[in-house]
Amino acid sequence: MMKLADQETKRIQYPLDSNSYKILDEIGVGVSAVVYKAICIPMNSTVVAIKAIDLDQSRADFDNVRREIKTMSLLSHPNILEAHCSFTVDRRLWVVMPFMSGGSLQSIISSSFPDGLSEPCIAIVLKEILNALSYLHRQGHLHRDIKAGNILIDSNGHVKLADFGVSASIYESTTGQGSGSSSCSSRLMLTDVAGTPYWMAPEVIHSHTGYSFKADIWSFGITALELAHGCPPLSHLPPSKSLLMKITKRFRFSDYEKHKKDKSKKFSKAFKDMVASCLDQDPAKRPSAEKLLKHSFFKNCKGSEYLVKHVLQGLPSVEERFREGKVLYGTTKTACGNNEEDDETMEVNIVKVRRISGWNFNEEGFELDPIFPTEIKDDSVMKKVRFGGETFIQAKKPECSQSSDSGESSHSSPARLGENEEEIARACKGSDNTQFGENYNVNLVVGGLVNLQKSLDVQKQNVNKIIEMFGGEVKTEERLMQVIENLNTELMNERQKNFELEMELQFLKLLMSGASSEAKVAD
Amino acid sequence: MKGLFKSKPRTPADIVRQTRNLLICVDRSSSSSSELRDSKREEKMTELSKNLREMKSILYGNSESEPVAEACAQLTQEFFRENTLRLLIFCLPKLNLEARKDATQVVANLQRQQVNSRLIASEYLEKNTDLLDVLVAGYDDTDMALHYGAMLRECIRHQTVARCVLESDHMKKFFDYIQLPNFDIAADAAATFKELLTRHKSTVAEFLSKNYDWFFAEYNSKLLESTNYITRRQAVKLLGDILLDRSNSVVMTRYVSSRDNLRILMNLLRETSKSIQIEAFHVFKLFAANQNKPPDIVSILVANRSKLLRLFADFKTEKEDEQFEADKAQVVKEIAALEPRDHP
Repeated sequence: MMKLADQETKRIQYPLDSNSYKILDEIGVGVSAVVYKAICIPMNSTVVAIKAIDLDQSRADFDNVRREIKTMSLLSHPNILEAHCSFTVDRRLWVVMPFMSGGSLQSIISSSFPDGLSEPCIAIVLKEILNALSYLHRQGHLHRDIKAGNILIDSNGHVKLADFGVSASIYESTTGQGSGSSSCSSRLMLTDVAGTPYWMAPEVIHSHTGYSFKADIWSFGITALELAHGCPPLSHLPPSKSLLMKITKRFRFSDYEKHKKDKSKKFSKAFKDMVASCLDQDPAKRPSAEKLLKHSFFKNCKGSEYLVKHVLQGLPSVEERFREGKVLYGTTKTACGNNEEDDETMEVNIVKVRRISGWNFNEEGFELDPIFPTEIKDDSVMKKVRFGGETFIQAKKPECSQSSDSGESSHSSPARLGENEEEIARACKGSDNTQFGENYNVNLVVGGLVNLQKSLDVQKQNVNKIIEMFGGEVKTEERLMQVIENLNTELMNERQKNFELEMELQFLKLLMSGASSEAKVAD
Repeated sequence: MKGLFKSKPRTPADIVRQTRNLLICVDRSSSSSSELRDSKREEKMTELSKNLREMKSILYGNSESEPVAEACAQLTQEFFRENTLRLLIFCLPKLNLEARKDATQVVANLQRQQVNSRLIASEYLEKNTDLLDVLVAGYDDTDMALHYGAMLRECIRHQTVARCVLESDHMKKFFDYIQLPNFDIAADAAATFKELLTRHKSTVAEFLSKNYDWFFAEYNSKLLESTNYITRRQAVKLLGDILLDRSNSVVMTRYVSSRDNLRILMNLLRETSKSIQIEAFHVFKLFAANQNKPPDIVSILVANRSKLLRLFADFKTEKEDEQFEADKAQVVKEIAALEPRDHP
């Protein structure tokens, strides 16, 4: 406590104007943001990283950007990447952060350790991340996107957890943004889908039941595998949500081992035991971050110098890796993990479900499309309510031409409309959204749902086949892989259809619920 | 025998009382700095942090247990029985970051606690409105802004408290706060500003009617015509939210009858930023749809008719949006049909 108090006495104030910074190089790029290496001239030319988020292009909910920045400003821990400051430069938001010269572990692995890191290195990284997690969880924060791509390392081998773009606070989730629900029934659980598919815990995918800190522990376990093997389990499959849903149910560490056998990597019992405990299907059985720190795997853990010597030495610089990645994979980024902003541009207006994409694995040649959940979240419901009044012109035209004077009467009709929606929203709030259905054309929606179901059934069959094959003989693996690939293509097609339908459905819902103008939502 | 060595568990009220005493110590220690030696002071601070964390877990529950209504009620009652909130707000800058965050969450939660179906936090704040001054002024202090700001936003959940802030001189300061260079602070102030102007419908309507002149003069010049992109974008969005709210229909009618306002909105329509254009359209359509357009509005629209129609011809949202298209069609029809009323 005392240490903390000392340490945080006044953060150094970095200058809040772009002229004080000189941009040196591009080290990361996403759809709506670019990350630069830069120097801060008035601060002895300290090297910094600047994440420039295009606020105009990003149709992200502005509140999400705000929340991310706020979270970063209020966290203070040696293993968490802090923001020095943030300010707007015309249409861009500049977030100034320490420069982590090693980049993300994901980029390190993909450039120099395709088969994964050695166990002592993994232990150091994971231990630091557990420190960060234990701090976050104590604060009531879930990171919700733990993966090697979000773990950064600096030239001294210090490891920091980055990217709070989809993080959430269990305290604020009940505070709600003015949803008016004064219900203090805080179960301290979250229910929205967020994260990156391969790393997502089963209870997050089935998010209706609610999840909490243990979801981060699952992702932590997957990250451990990622560091050990060079990629997360199942990454050879497209990150389809339904696929994951089925497979996570049966997924066991041993299955993974079997699948990866050819790599002939041997792991210690302590490591396997530690990872297995994180990947328990039952969140309650997974250990807390605090408890994991005491696991034997982390005993005799080496210091950061070890990482410098065994991982950082001879590594191409972040800039080089970024350029290389650009050449290899077109515009998609590989280097510099902290900022992969594929997120906010995800066009769909569903709150917080932005970052669901698998950019890390584009090298495998899969097209990794985002996945959108079908549920409508409270937030979006509330949002629609707010814009109810916009039916103004349409809805009330006839009336106001009659009632001539004062223009004020012109509001009566949308008013009623708005009220209606508020009622519906109230009815829906916190529980199932199906009630919303009463408000729009049931036939249309049912039709859409039936189609969806059909395509889901096909997918289910395919997935079952795949699972069968995994259980099958190793000899025929070659042939099976071929079959799987074919199935994958089929799956992708189905998924595309599914996605289109889902989009249509969302669109219909929006229309029917009288919520006009999605442009508003785009804010 | 065991009982002798085991201290009695503290009740929620005990914790509040002890917290209050600690706060009094901390508060005093600064005025006469030598009174408490450093080590002693640290000890008190640690104790205080611990108490705040305990209060938080009583109010929110923890991973093992849900909050107990009775315990929450006890805590709330004791908290507001005396000046604990005042002490906490004043001592907040002296606490460390973690304790500040805990304190903020405690204060936030207390706003929603009912004791005998009364919101005693609201009653307390009504009698202690000077505390709101401290909270608002927090935006001037980089270190405290996010904490005080979060507390303030929770306090204005109470209609009477929101009215206090709306009617105070603080409202004027918000026009500057939301343009502070620190993005996180500016954004926090903007969130509070928005909350003040949208949450309690009747109070907002009353405020806007009474303060129409200065408020919209400031709003137009400082926000809608700001050089800062994000300020303009947020402001035009909020303006739409305000004017399209049925409870503000009187204000809306007045707003859309002013040619100056129309001119500003038409400038926003011409921006290169798509987001601003779209938001501006949602306000502009009100001018066009007004069935009692004053002659000067009509003449501006007529004078710019061809330009406007050309603009709307390729005016699209990124995603297909039927409602938007319908609105646009209506506006186009409305403008196309305009006849100058006053012939020169």
